Amino acid sequence: MDLIDLVDRIDLIVNGVDKVNTVFYRDFFCGESNMVTTVSLRDAVLDSAREVFETMVFMALEPSDDATSLGDTTLLASITFKGDMDGCLSVCCDDSCARTITANMLGMMSTDEVGENDVSDAMGEIANMVMGTVKARIQNDAGNIEVSIPSVVQGRELRSSLGEGAGQVRVRVSIEEQYRAEFSLLYR
Amino acid sequence: MGKSLMIVDDSATMRKIIMRTVRMSGLEFDRTEEAGSGVEALEKLKAGPIDVVLCDINMPEMNGTEMVKHARQLPSCAGTKIIMVSTESAEDLIKQVLADGADGYITKPFTPEKFQEKLTPLLN
Repeated sequence: MDLIDLVDRIDLIVNGVDKVNTVFYRDFFCGESNMVTTVSLRDAVLDSAREVFETMVFMALEPSDDATSLGDTTLLASITFKGDMDGCLSVCCDDSCARTITANMLGMMSTDEVGENDVSDAMGEIANMVMGTVKARIQNDAGNIEVSIPSVVQGRELRSSLGEGAGQVRVRVSIEEQYRAEFSLLYR
Repeated sequence: MGKSLMIVDDSATMRKIIMRTVRMSGLEFDRTEEAGSGVEALEKLKAGPIDVVLCDINMPEMNGTEMVKHARQLPSCAGTKIIMVSTESAEDLIKQVLADGADGYITKPFTPEKFQEKLTPLLN
């Protein structure tokens, strides 16, 4: 599957929000010794998101079991990857959360100063950095992965999908105990 | 004579974030420039020497690795220190970019301390 095919298969669908899943992706790849590597993708996503938020956004991020909707209008930043493992990493949150993240990244005193392009760029960069950090954490087990350039869309209850048969990790988080967001990793 | 800095990234927001992080690191530059692509960066490098270039890798039009290769052919770029700034952290890629002419590599996410650690030795 090439990247274009993969992007085409990522449909934005209207859906409810599932509870947080813990998924262990088994049999990433069998090495020469045929040893099965088990990696906690959920931990990789959560730890990577924490690292990015601590160092670049200056906000504390904690896992949350709040499964309610993220809001009527949400912003979804996604980045696809292909190689020995294909998939998509996304971060989704409401507009208020995205503006606060952007203001913090840019060192602005108020979200009033934040422009639409800044929000889109900043959220895309969050997806890019979290994916890069996830990749660094799993690359010994997952093999070669090439990451694309992020894309950002805004709409009602957006979610990425790779269709049937795809594995998924969804991590709900609380940001500074004030905002909520969801990170998802879809893979096959 | 003061030092000059150019930040190369296709994201204007990321350029602002990098500039902010450089300031937070305590490093001072008398002149700063920005470029939104490898092509634009090369044009600015042809126009005159720049002491330090902080360059993204994944960019449309001309990526950072290509930009470094072209820049190293420019006489005006002989003394320029080029530091790659990217989410890519694969060892093979980093080795290749350094072999192609980059002077250093900073992975995202980054901190002001990381910029200070990587840039200070190059400025002295």
